[in-house]
Amino acid sequence: MAIELADIRFHYPDRTEHAVLNIPLWSLKTGDQVFVHGPSGGGKSTLLGLLSGLHSPNNGQVSVLGQRLDKMTNRQRDQFRAANIGYVFQKFNLMPYLNAIDNVLLATQFSQLNSSNDRTKEVKTLFDGLNIPEKEWHIPCRDLSVGQQQRVAIARALINKPQLLIADEPTSSLDQANTDAFMQLLMPLVAENNMTLLFVSHDLSLSSYFNKVQSLGDFNQVGGINHAS
Amino acid sequence: MLAKLALQSLLDRKGSVMLSLLAMTVSIFVLLGVEHVRHQAKDNFSNTVSGVDLIVGARTGNINLLLYSVFRIGSPTNNIRWQTYENISNNKLVEWTIPISLGDSHKGYRVLGTTKDYFEHFSYGKKHHLAFEQGRQFDQVFDVVLGAEVANKLGYSLGDKVALAHGIAATSFSIHDDRPFTVVGILAATGTPVDQTLHVSLKGIEAIHIDWQHGVKIANSGLTQSDFEKADLQPKSITAFMLGLKSKMATFQVQRAINEYTAEPVVAILPGVALSELWRMIGVLENTLLLVSILVFIAACLGVSSMLLASIRERRHEIQLLRIMGAPPYYLFLLIELEAFLITLLSCVLGTALLVACLALLQDYLVSHYGIYIEINLLTENSLHLLASILLASFVVSVIPSFSGYRKAR
Repeated sequence: MAIELADIRFHYPDRTEHAVLNIPLWSLKTGDQVFVHGPSGGGKSTLLGLLSGLHSPNNGQVSVLGQRLDKMTNRQRDQFRAANIGYVFQKFNLMPYLNAIDNVLLATQFSQLNSSNDRTKEVKTLFDGLNIPEKEWHIPCRDLSVGQQQRVAIARALINKPQLLIADEPTSSLDQANTDAFMQLLMPLVAENNMTLLFVSHDLSLSSYFNKVQSLGDFNQVGGINHAS
Repeated sequence: MLAKLALQSLLDRKGSVMLSLLAMTVSIFVLLGVEHVRHQAKDNFSNTVSGVDLIVGARTGNINLLLYSVFRIGSPTNNIRWQTYENISNNKLVEWTIPISLGDSHKGYRVLGTTKDYFEHFSYGKKHHLAFEQGRQFDQVFDVVLGAEVANKLGYSLGDKVALAHGIAATSFSIHDDRPFTVVGILAATGTPVDQTLHVSLKGIEAIHIDWQHGVKIANSGLTQSDFEKADLQPKSITAFMLGLKSKMATFQVQRAINEYTAEPVVAILPGVALSELWRMIGVLENTLLLVSILVFIAACLGVSSMLLASIRERRHEIQLLRIMGAPPYYLFLLIELEAFLITLLSCVLGTALLVACLALLQDYLVSHYGIYIEINLLTENSLHLLASILLASFVVSVIPSFSGYRKAR
């Protein structure tokens, strides 16, 4: 199993009465490509924070790639995330003042796997695969187009060869053409590398790319509203 | 990569970073400058004169006498009669004396009338005697021995003719140009006011003032060189004199004897005591300056800190991004500390460079107007300690924004 959640309860420290997540049981198989949709404010980002180890649940078990995140120390969680999880946001995926190569190299700093040797060559291969033209490798990322920034973001998320890729509304800032290009680039890469993909979006039109589609409300029973049928 | 990140992120915020850098540079310039000048001045002071047991002059303040006799600063209040000098010199406890006659100048440099004893007995620093770079002591009435800096700055060499001016202003209207002096010797540099002095014999001083009255040249009398050799050039008064005793034990005894001298009001001072009195006076000012410059520096440190603190808010996306890539919270702490360190380090370099440039520009001025010689070399142990403390202080103050970044990252 890539992800297993059990008895999860989560609320933010400053709003103890307002539970954000209440997930009795939820799991993803290794190699699954799952599209999870739900309204904004429904706890999507919180769930992703939990899975990446940025948040700890108040209660319950979080198991990612066979490891219990809730039993790890903060330091261990940081290292686990650096080594095993790729993450793409809607925006602010890149340090605006660094160039594309440095942005991707930055991501190699925090995983303990061969972080010492020069991985520039690897980055360039990855860029070639993502059709990022060479003239855009050395300019600050803020000067790239939004579509191009998202490609660099994919490169950044994939450089450490993560087993789990989490995408948090990655296409919401893109127009239709760019969205399609993005999806057509991402999906084969995921399949090629046998990665588990958790793709969260409110845009249901994207669900056609996935073999498994879920609503967050289906497994998050917060506030007594149970969408499960 | 951390360094690159810190540097690029600073470059990305050029505006606010430049202002902080500027404030920091100015504060380091001031702090380093005050500290450097302080130490240099103190060294200068304590090295100005040594081996002289007493300085005797017309009754005045200790410090005033010290200033004009040793530092050639200010004007003597009054002269002492030659007879008085003779009487005190003949005291059996006195081993040697150096008479001093001041009042003339050459292009802003003071002229000192004295005897050959000056070259034999005067010493500075750790009992260094005066040494000749070129030439010899003065022999004839119109011979002059130049201090190292006078020769250097005015480009004189042996055999050159020098016209002395009446009074001590750099541009004097009454120049003794009818009776020029010949350079016969140039002293080795000492780093004391000796370097800025022209030395002539007491007879020379008398000779140029023949048929001058009240500081005004009366007429060109047509006196020739040989007339001066023959003329009676016995001075009637001198400005002050230094003396050495046969035994240090007698210092206070002789001092009291001189202070109780009845024929004329004279005073004898111990140069060491007067030097430290003078230093104490300057010390108050000096400590105040140091305190003010430390406060300026702390203000600059806080400025850098508040700039970084404000930046953390606008960088919350960067922090979130670093976190999702697996950067631990202490990475953020280090990043912000490093940014502060880079700003401080660059400020240190700029401040030091600025100070060196200013010292190089002001050195001549300080020497010619205040008799203070300031080394340009800043790489003293003191300055390095100070720079290290500056870096440490900025590190400590930057803990505030760094910790805030750390907290944001958790």
